[in-house]
Amino acid sequence: MRWFNLFWQQLANGLIVGSTYSLIALGYTLIFGVLGIINMAHGQIFIFGSLVGLALMTSTDLPLPVAFVVAIVVSAILGIILEYTALRPLRKKNVPHLASLISTIGFATLVEEGMHKLFGADSRSFPEVFGGKVFDLGIMQIRGVDLLIIGISLVLMFVLHFWITRTKLGKAIRATAENSDTASILGINTNLVIVLTVMIASGLGGIAGMMIGMTYSALIPSMGLTLGFKGLAVLILGGVGSIPGAMVCGVLLGVIEVFAVAYGDSSYRDAVAFGLIILILLIRPQGLFGSKA
Amino acid sequence: MDLLNPYNLQVITFIVLNGILAISIYITLMTGQLSLGHAGFMSIGAYTASILTKQADLPLFAALLLGALAAGLIALLIGAPTLKLHGLYLAIATLGFGEVVRVIMLNMEITNGALGLTGLKSIGNTLYEWQKAIGVSAQSVGVSVMQMKALLTLFFLVLLFAVILFLTLRLNRSRIGRAFEAIKADETAAKAMGLQISYYKMLAFIIGSVLAGFCGGLFAHITTTVTPDDFNYHKVVEILSFAVIGGSEIVWGPLFGALLLTSLPELLRSLAEYKMIMYGAIMVLVMAFRPHGLIAADTFQKLFRRRSKQASAAKKEEF
Amino acid sequence: MNKKRFSQLLATCLLGTTILAGCGGGASTSTPAPAGGGEAQQSAGGEITAKIGVVSFLSGTGAAYGEAQKAGLELALAELNEANKGKLKIELQMEDSGGKKESAINAVNKLINQDNVVAIIGPTLSGEMFAAGPVANEAETPIFGISNTAEGINDIGEYVFRNSLPESIAIPTAMKAAQEKKGFKKAAFIYAANDDFSVSGFKTMKATAEQMGLENLGEATFSNGDVDFSAQLTKIKELNPDVLLVSALYKEGSLVVKKARELGITATIIGGNGFNNPQVFEIAGDAAEGLIVATPFSPEKQDEKVQTFVKAFEAKYGKKPDQFAAQAYDGLYIIAQSLLAAGKADRNALRDQLAQLKDFQGVSGKLSFDEKRTPVGEAVVVEVKGGKFVPF
Repeated sequence: MRWFNLFWQQLANGLIVGSTYSLIALGYTLIFGVLGIINMAHGQIFIFGSLVGLALMTSTDLPLPVAFVVAIVVSAILGIILEYTALRPLRKKNVPHLASLISTIGFATLVEEGMHKLFGADSRSFPEVFGGKVFDLGIMQIRGVDLLIIGISLVLMFVLHFWITRTKLGKAIRATAENSDTASILGINTNLVIVLTVMIASGLGGIAGMMIGMTYSALIPSMGLTLGFKGLAVLILGGVGSIPGAMVCGVLLGVIEVFAVAYGDSSYRDAVAFGLIILILLIRPQGLFGSKA
Repeated sequence: MDLLNPYNLQVITFIVLNGILAISIYITLMTGQLSLGHAGFMSIGAYTASILTKQADLPLFAALLLGALAAGLIALLIGAPTLKLHGLYLAIATLGFGEVVRVIMLNMEITNGALGLTGLKSIGNTLYEWQKAIGVSAQSVGVSVMQMKALLTLFFLVLLFAVILFLTLRLNRSRIGRAFEAIKADETAAKAMGLQISYYKMLAFIIGSVLAGFCGGLFAHITTTVTPDDFNYHKVVEILSFAVIGGSEIVWGPLFGALLLTSLPELLRSLAEYKMIMYGAIMVLVMAFRPHGLIAADTFQKLFRRRSKQASAAKKEEF
Repeated sequence: MNKKRFSQLLATCLLGTTILAGCGGGASTSTPAPAGGGEAQQSAGGEITAKIGVVSFLSGTGAAYGEAQKAGLELALAELNEANKGKLKIELQMEDSGGKKESAINAVNKLINQDNVVAIIGPTLSGEMFAAGPVANEAETPIFGISNTAEGINDIGEYVFRNSLPESIAIPTAMKAAQEKKGFKKAAFIYAANDDFSVSGFKTMKATAEQMGLENLGEATFSNGDVDFSAQLTKIKELNPDVLLVSALYKEGSLVVKKARELGITATIIGGNGFNNPQVFEIAGDAAEGLIVATPFSPEKQDEKVQTFVKAFEAKYGKKPDQFAAQAYDGLYIIAQSLLAAGKADRNALRDQLAQLKDFQGVSGKLSFDEKRTPVGEAVVVEVKGGKFVPF
């Protein structure tokens, strides 16, 4: 049963790709959920953070966990800068909602060019940490790294979901997302909540970036844009602001993309994400997991 | 400053071309719809026109019009379902449309994939041939052939631009223009007043797409080559920036945006390496300090009111 | 407060931008060049001063290629000005195209008409050359491609040159040499479908494979900027080819090779010119072993000229030069040699000298132009062994 094995192998491929998409989409979803905007700079921010982590790791022999922390911290700091320069000034009255789209695109351009100046536009190879050890699961073969990325995405998503729904801060975030005016009347420091959200979203991006570097064994500054697009697609597919939506649809998009290549024509892969978006928007505009506003 | 320098003529030509593009996004924005599909429509227009001039040997201007028409036709097809979407959703759906168009162009036989179509006949050459046919050569005007061609291209574009701008201003003041404005201000109220919302939205969408398609054809025949990557995400952002940085309330806003964003990279050439950084910084700064764009509806009113006050004061003095 | 002030300021800005845009870059007082002109300054000592324009992809996603070209050019510039002291002084005027056609056209126009350069090197991408080449040709200014490998570049016109060998020369050499040794019969292809360089490389590979009678098992594509190739390669693995032909630039290409080996594809892998970059070893690591590439330039080539270049480059930039840097370096040397032969910094004289180029010995091998100015050179076939490109 050759095709049977092949199917499972491709499914595994799809799951791995999909979990990276989910991780990226989480950042978009968090920020959209609270601020109601699409942060077009998310991709560039997390690639920048991860590149700093990677550069330190290769040049000063930093252990991997420390590099992870560096990537998270740098991404979070960039997120704060984004909030103070490109987002907060626009949270006044009468600002068209398009403005934030443009200012984050501007910020993305800044970060991307900054990367080119600091790290060059070249790809940077990611040292092999766990070795390319391959686990044979009978029906599919999967590398240790890939298992790790699937595991980490799952854990992160559950932690995040729990944190948003159960903790005090999470509730504050949700209240701000619901209605920031009311939230501030209720004594929630909405500005602080927003700063924290942007920090967490960007920091999560940092983890995603490092994980991506590990699975694909390289980081390229231009990844910010290409992977950012996928995250954006997942955001819409899952229903904006829905964390379970981002989780499931990220994986779904990855699997569909891989199957499009495996059983269709690989040259149409890039059309899959956006073709799906158009389809979903026409059939169910609130996304698969969104609720009608 | 030397206006006859082909470099300057070339830059001004691109400014005028982008001016037409700016009008195209302005018209879709007139009903409050944010379409990010303009690059996709440009692509359709560019490829249709180029295939017609290259493979079918059609006259350039017929091909340009057919390219615009093709873009309009596709807009008609995809408009019906997509225009039901609002705000950000419409933006993402149209962005998706552009990406899908790009992938299709990459995979079609007739578009020659990523290699694109090259060696197209330039507008300058076509016009110069006409000019020679009526017995005027560059020498008789006293400029070089290159300058003549650049001048002809520019004149042609300025003429087109003037006509399109005139029609847009007329549209603004017409019943249709007022309907657009009403829809933008408050869709529900406009509906209550008996306006056919979907008809007007569709109209604006199609006019915008036809103009974008036309620009695509022009772009292809100015650069003499066309590849799918010319109309990628970066082009979308560029077109959108015209309207957002310039301001989308009145037509002068996007036009100013086009002027600024086309000339800026040239002005910053000496800082070539840092150009993109400054470009990004300008986008962030303009949004932070003037989120409605540099030119708002009242900018000119204020300007003119001041002028007319001065004028009336001057008149009084005369008496 | 003073909104009136603001609108005034705005109007001034508007006007100012128009005027400045007109001057394109401001305080230049240059006059338009007479056709076929070029700034020819000959000082008393007989030293020629030649200003050469460069249009390169210095910002944006392809900046890695532009940076390499810039490095190669600057190294050549320093050496040439030192060696030809008193005879020839070259000035480089760098312009960024950002990989955009309009920008490349503007840059070429500016260099020709405002900076009065005697020749232009670049632009980086073939697509840009197709747009900007006709402009330079029309203005009778030599334009010299250092990285344009697409078919049809030389047909743009009399003033268009390039020292980058078309893929149709390099790839068949590698494929034939490899088949002689390995004797493969079944081929599979993978290439970047959204990149003109990779697509034209793929077309050459496919045509050559047909000629050689290889069985075509299948073709898969990806996009530049992709990082995941597992689906395509899993599919290819099932086809079980003897040889995998990869047409891509090194960024994506090395990831493809790495993933292919990880998945257990054991076929011989042959890559296009785009693989010729030391980064391949860093990214693909051990997976790069056995990769076969045809290239005009190899930093490991045991040739005095090549080794001097590699050492000088490493001393200046701290890394090994790649194909882009080598061809840029050679390009400037060719122009300098032709300028010296022409004896003056004149566009037409330079063009005529360039067209006669014969047996130029550069770091990327021997190069001549045929009567249609198509570069005729030799491609070396190299194989990766022990983290190095060694002659195959």
